Amino acid sequence: MERKGLLISPELCIGCKACQIACKSWNLLPATKTRNNGSYENPPDLNGDNFNKIRYSEIPSETNPVRWLFVSQRCMHCDDAGCMRICPAPGALYKTADGAVAVNKNKCIGCKLCLAGCPFNVPRYGMDDKLSKCTLCADRMENGLIPMCSKTCPTGAIKYGDRNDLIGKATKAGYTKVYGQNDLGGLGALFAFKDAPKIYGYADKPEINEMVILWHKYLKPLSWIGLGGVAAASVIHYFAVGPHKAEDPNKDKEVKK
Amino acid sequence: MRLNDRDMIRKETTFGIVNHWTLAISCILLTLSGYGFLFQIQIIGTMFCGFPAMKVIHNWLGVVFTASLVLSMVFWLKECITFDKDDIAWVKAAGGYLSHKVAIPPMHKLNTGQKLAYLGVLGMGFGIIATGFVIWLFPANQTLMIWSHFLHNLCFIGMALFIPVHVYLGAIANPGTMRIMIYGTVPVWWARKKSPKWIQEVEEGRHH
Ligand code: HEM
Ligand code: SF4
Ligand code: SF4
Repeated sequence: MERKGLLISPELCIGCKACQIACKSWNLLPATKTRNNGSYENPPDLNGDNFNKIRYSEIPSETNPVRWLFVSQRCMHCDDAGCMRICPAPGALYKTADGAVAVNKNKCIGCKLCLAGCPFNVPRYGMDDKLSKCTLCADRMENGLIPMCSKTCPTGAIKYGDRNDLIGKATKAGYTKVYGQNDLGGLGALFAFKDAPKIYGYADKPEINEMVILWHKYLKPLSWIGLGGVAAASVIHYFAVGPHKAEDPNKDKEVKK
Repeated sequence: MRLNDRDMIRKETTFGIVNHWTLAISCILLTLSGYGFLFQIQIIGTMFCGFPAMKVIHNWLGVVFTASLVLSMVFWLKECITFDKDDIAWVKAAGGYLSHKVAIPPMHKLNTGQKLAYLGVLGMGFGIIATGFVIWLFPANQTLMIWSHFLHNLCFIGMALFIPVHVYLGAIANPGTMRIMIYGTVPVWWARKKSPKWIQEVEEGRHH
């Protein structure tokens, strides 16, 4: 199956937050009580009840003293997903045929390692301590429906479709580089940024922490090889050198009382 | 007072034996569940009633392991940080593990290898304990989590290598040692051979 994705265009976003509400509506998530912190950005951060949030960045440019950037912040559905690499519970995180990184709460053990493995600071947890994040509406996609955020967006700032088509569209629209096209094996959430990614709150070159890579790629196999090695060494020692038998010096003598 | 070779002498107290088994069983179960997490092995998860239950069991077994490792210091630490020139000679002779022909210098209750192994286990044990508790209790701090997870796993490799070697040398390669884990006593003639300095001390009345 074609890998599916989202193309997010901050320039088209009007910051109406309809996608935030639609996401809550489909995923049956309650409102988060927040306080006015001087920004329309609300809630202030992703949480177990907010899988998708519009980030509001007020960053004046040379030509525009009141530049206001809106960008959807959510799980990027990485191809090489740090969360999946570090997760110790099989099946808690899984890839759907469409390329979404989905969650099975029944299998999640609530260890929260996925937050440490994610390069985008995405995973959040519910009251039950289990992973609670955007699944690209894997349940809707399975039934031929498109993700809620994309369906709701009134301006086309969140477009859903075959990932390759989306990249083609963005290129045709004049974006020479689509954010997420090649990072981490290719992100499922693609961004048509006009300016440097960090202006929008994203790292120029997102990477999984090198400690996670070092462990999973290189050291982890050592624990099997090592175990096999010492087991083999023990067997060889047993036959080549043999056990340290201690002979009872009085074995043949009469046992004294 | 010379001890009778036909008698038994107590090497480990009952409390010490119980603690050793607690340490061993908790460590083996932690290692087993650890392998389950590390390689996402479904059958190990099933043995522990599923992965979510295995996490809870792994964490609380960690508490048991911590308690018995701390207690083990009461029994073994003093002996294990006491070294003398015979220990150097022991290392030179590789403890006789590679050949039965070399002369092994006289040892106290534990030989040099056992003492060093204990110190290694103590170091790795506290490493795995400290990092384990961090992963368990401070998941919000990402940097701390990454490092703890890494070190937890590194210590795990050490532990996973130690256990088979320890079981092999302790139970298979040295017949007669298994009874220390069960009865806590050994024959005097055996102790005289393996731990001559200890027996000498006891005979001279210098040892409790
Ligand atoms: C105080 C003791 C310990 C605590 C609190 C602890 C805690 C943890 C936690 C929280 C995890 C992450 C996955 C999970 O939530 O279950 C973990 C994973 C693991 N633990 Fe422990 N642990 C302890 C001791 C040990 C010991 C003694 C061993 C083995 C000798 C061990 C081996 C492992 C391994 C291999 C993993 C898998 C890491 C991964 O997910 O990649 N742990 N431990
Ligand atoms: S953005 Fe984070 S949570 Fe989402 S797939 Fe990538 S690593 Fe996983
Ligand atoms: S919290 Fe759940 S999904 Fe995240 S790493 Fe742990 S088991 Fe995996």
